[in-house]
Amino acid sequence: MIKDIIYSTIQFILLVLLQVFILDNVALWGFINPMVYIWFIILLPYGTPKWLTLLSSFLLGICVDIFAGDIGVNAFACVFIAFLRPLLLNSFSGNIDNPTQRPSISTQGFMNFLLFTISMTLVHHLLCFCISTFAWAEIIQVLLRTLMSSVITILVILFLDMIFFRKAE
Amino acid sequence: MNDLLRFLKRYYHVFLFLLLEGLSIYFISCNSFRQGSYITSIANNISGGIDEAYSNVTSYFYLKSTNEALVQENVRLRKMVESSYVKIVNNVHKEEDTVYKQMYSFIDARVISKTVNKRNNFFMLNKGSISGIEPDMGVISPNGVVGVIVKTTPNFSLVMSVLHQDSKLNVRNERTKTTGTLVWNGKHYATGQIVDMPSSLAVKKGDKIVTSGFSRNFPEGITVGTIKKFTKDKGTGFYDIDIKFSTDYNKLEYVYVIKNYFKIEQDRLMQGIDTADTPKQDLVR
Repeated sequence: MIKDIIYSTIQFILLVLLQVFILDNVALWGFINPMVYIWFIILLPYGTPKWLTLLSSFLLGICVDIFAGDIGVNAFACVFIAFLRPLLLNSFSGNIDNPTQRPSISTQGFMNFLLFTISMTLVHHLLCFCISTFAWAEIIQVLLRTLMSSVITILVILFLDMIFFRKAE
Repeated sequence: MNDLLRFLKRYYHVFLFLLLEGLSIYFISCNSFRQGSYITSIANNISGGIDEAYSNVTSYFYLKSTNEALVQENVRLRKMVESSYVKIVNNVHKEEDTVYKQMYSFIDARVISKTVNKRNNFFMLNKGSISGIEPDMGVISPNGVVGVIVKTTPNFSLVMSVLHQDSKLNVRNERTKTTGTLVWNGKHYATGQIVDMPSSLAVKKGDKIVTSGFSRNFPEGITVGTIKKFTKDKGTGFYDIDIKFSTDYNKLEYVYVIKNYFKIEQDRLMQGIDTADTPKQDLVR
């Protein structure tokens, strides 16, 4: 229990730093903005209480927002996917025997984890870009931005997952 | 009573969800930088300190290109020192040293955090109201226009970049002298758009675009960029122009904040007219 909390806290800090100092400065083709920090929300243990998921996601969003200068945007999107998370986990996870397990390729299987990550990322990115643009006239651009950034985010998350949670053989 | 408690226990996460989303929306609605909000200024103070420490390290990576840009600027400035002064000749008999009165002065500052890949981009500077920076002042880099100050705290200030939805800057084609409005469509940080430039005088690819001096926060003739592509809009008689910014916003390091000594006087002159029908000439208004 304590181990899980410490683990999650370290992960929280590292992901915020990664996002704020590296990924927010990435400008691939000028408009791609990968947001890998949502890996934190994806990776919370299965048995995390709902209130803790919501509150920690809100905090995560606020931390990233403070550095981006647009307060509330990331927080909104994070809380939203934190709310969706239990529903998505139910539909995409196999048999969960241990509530301290965390969703990853090795516990969920590649396909399930991929679908779970894709749905979380797409919803989050779409919300983020829609709110910060807030104009119907640019909807095509928002969708394009969402799609491209999501692809990068998902690839990075899968990559990190493969590095840190390789199946013990 | 028991039922109510059970209901609350079962659905408490929905209420928490709604509460947190409400809070987020409240924060977003506070983000209107024109009024200046308490929340953003707290956030500025927190992130400002950390960003400054980080940027102290990363600034070394850009040292070479920054130096080159500064040297180039020095050369250019030596040639045109007079341009930041306004000539006042109300009386020809006055002595010569009162002919010029200083109109603009510059405060140097360092960029400690920036974004270029969002729809609405901001920069944070390492100086604030203690150094004399106030909202609405223009910000330029050695290579050209950067944005306008929207918010200051004692030690930091926030710049709305020209890479922002609400950014509107009056610019001029240096060759033909026709004016237009610089906006940004959010696609690429190296490319800006000019609207409202009349097609009565033909523009050419590579024409230099500079500030018009109509806006009260920028002096005349600050470089903005060069024309990359243009099409004539038959219906309106205006050009649709794509320009290449002269500043690489992703590498921005040192900037100057412009103080206009006559701003209050000019603002007073525009009072009353401004509210009714504003010519689109300021970045923020």
